[in-house]
Amino acid sequence: MTGGPMGHLKLTAVTKSFGTAQVIKPTDLEIEDGAFTVFVGPSGCGKSTMLRMIAGLEEITSGTIEIDGKVVNDLAPVKRGISMVFQSYALYPHMSVFENIAFPLRVARLDQARVDALVAKAAAVLKLEDRLHHRPGELSGGQRQRVAIGRAIVREPSVFLFDEPLSNLDAALRAEMRVELSRLHKRLGNTMIYVTHDQVEAMTMADKIVVLRDGMVEQVGTPLELYHRPANRFVAGFIGNPNMNFLDVTCRAVAEGAVRIALPDGAEAEIPVAGAGVAAGDALTLGIRPDDLTIGGSAGAQLTIVPEVVERLGNQTVIYTATENGTPVCVVGGGFEDVRPGQPCAAGFDPGDAHLFRPDGAALGRTIDLGRLAELA
Amino acid sequence: MINRYKWWELVIIYTGMALFLAFILAPFAEAFMVSLRPLEKVFRVPYRFLTEDMTIRPYIDMWTSVPGLWRYILNSFFISCAVTVLALLCIIPAAYSFARFEYRFRNGILTAFLAVNMVGAAVLIIPLYKLMLSLGLLNTYWAMIIPGAAFSVPTGIFLMRSYFLRIPRELEDAAYVDGASRLYTLRRVILPVALPGIMVVTIATFIAAYAQQFLFALTFNSVTEYHPLPVGLYQFFGRERVLWNELMAASLVGILPVLFVYVFLQKYIVAGLTAGAVKE
Repeated sequence: MTGGPMGHLKLTAVTKSFGTAQVIKPTDLEIEDGAFTVFVGPSGCGKSTMLRMIAGLEEITSGTIEIDGKVVNDLAPVKRGISMVFQSYALYPHMSVFENIAFPLRVARLDQARVDALVAKAAAVLKLEDRLHHRPGELSGGQRQRVAIGRAIVREPSVFLFDEPLSNLDAALRAEMRVELSRLHKRLGNTMIYVTHDQVEAMTMADKIVVLRDGMVEQVGTPLELYHRPANRFVAGFIGNPNMNFLDVTCRAVAEGAVRIALPDGAEAEIPVAGAGVAAGDALTLGIRPDDLTIGGSAGAQLTIVPEVVERLGNQTVIYTATENGTPVCVVGGGFEDVRPGQPCAAGFDPGDAHLFRPDGAALGRTIDLGRLAELA
Repeated sequence: MINRYKWWELVIIYTGMALFLAFILAPFAEAFMVSLRPLEKVFRVPYRFLTEDMTIRPYIDMWTSVPGLWRYILNSFFISCAVTVLALLCIIPAAYSFARFEYRFRNGILTAFLAVNMVGAAVLIIPLYKLMLSLGLLNTYWAMIIPGAAFSVPTGIFLMRSYFLRIPRELEDAAYVDGASRLYTLRRVILPVALPGIMVVTIATFIAAYAQQFLFALTFNSVTEYHPLPVGLYQFFGRERVLWNELMAASLVGILPVLFVYVFLQKYIVAGLTAGAVKE
């Protein structure tokens, strides 16, 4: 941490409407100094709109946005102390890399010596020193992205906003830039807000993830919290790759700290979750992650599945299967799983790994040890 | 790209192009040939394309037959330049506004502009004359420049607007986030990026202005010194005879400024200056 400008962001009852459509429902959100926060959600969930509202590119319909305790609703972006990196890089094609990075400083009418010093500093951070006299058109995708970041960091704002900055890069470069961005965050220590639809980016970079759907915050938490204790079925399905499997089950009995359910094929299992608001006979949804299923496993509960497509990746096997009543189930097993398409087999799971959701989508509280997660964070 | 044409298809395509070009260029070729012939041989029967008596005399004599020729060519060039500058000063802000801002009647105003183009200058020449008369602009350069610019503005706006629309909005957002004002952004970001488009509009306007000045000059101006070339050429029409060869020579020389401008600026049309701004 540099101890430089930070940025504490607070949204209170913020909404946004376009005409009669409310694209951001009333939202409260607090982002601490220096946190790397990721807004994630499917396309059209309002995450980019939210970011543009924080940036000052979109007006907010109601509510307040505070940065470092100051209401910034009506302030221009530069007065808010934010800077932004755009999805398309938005570099000025007719200017050299140097002038692109220097643009905010030129606008602020800094003298040449100061501009030189600040650009040199930003270029050093981003390893762009020997590219300063090139035009953006002569650079590779990753370098252009770094120039865009350089333009954002050069005036040392307290909050950085990233709008899907890596979505134009190929997979290998994206992985590399992910690491570079995390490194940059450690080095600068500023608040960063990062919008993406890619949950891998969210999981790998975030201190805190904000999951959005249809203009509503579904859950806020650390990546591991979201993974292990999703608040609802949407978050559970969104976080984790491949996606969580969902099976329709029936509640048989509710006990202290456990719910007994009947699986589709009639077998029963006892899932260790808080059964508040659930009664015997309720239709529930069982959530189980692909890597928590074991082919032929004898652990706790069993499903009968028919593999349809088997993808062998070497270190692991991704098996796309269906249960007898046609519900798709994905299993991630070891590299040497003995499965063949069309040949039914059993898949077992530890009831402790399972999630249960009420019909309204809310998750039943799991008893996972969050202390252990906090240690990892 | 794979060459997907058969040989006979290529023959048809090139024949078509040759016919088309011949149709377009034949008048120029004939004008050039006439300009090289002695006057008495211009109407020779039977017609011969190439003859031994060809001479460049008309190109020399035309300056003495019509002593004001220099002046007319310069007038033409000056009027077209002035029209282009004035038109661009209106086109660029208007097109930017049509491309970027939301306001009531925006599309209606744009349609109205284009509708003016459909009516054309010739229909409006009498009201325009009255207007010029009451403004006291008759028999000045302004009488040719202002209407010329006014009639090039609608097409220019249309061309320029479509160019501005192609510039990604994120470029402006980025400049705005960095604290730049609208005008600063327009000057430092949008105009340089739109330069190829501006060049296209400049060339189109210049050529249109060069071609259309005849009507306004003939109607609004009777001062010989202010005449542009198309009107000045009438002085080759004598009492007893028309100096066809010198007339053609003067016309061809008169085209040179346009040709010069076109050759000089056309590289901007091709230049892909937006390369690298955003992902394609």
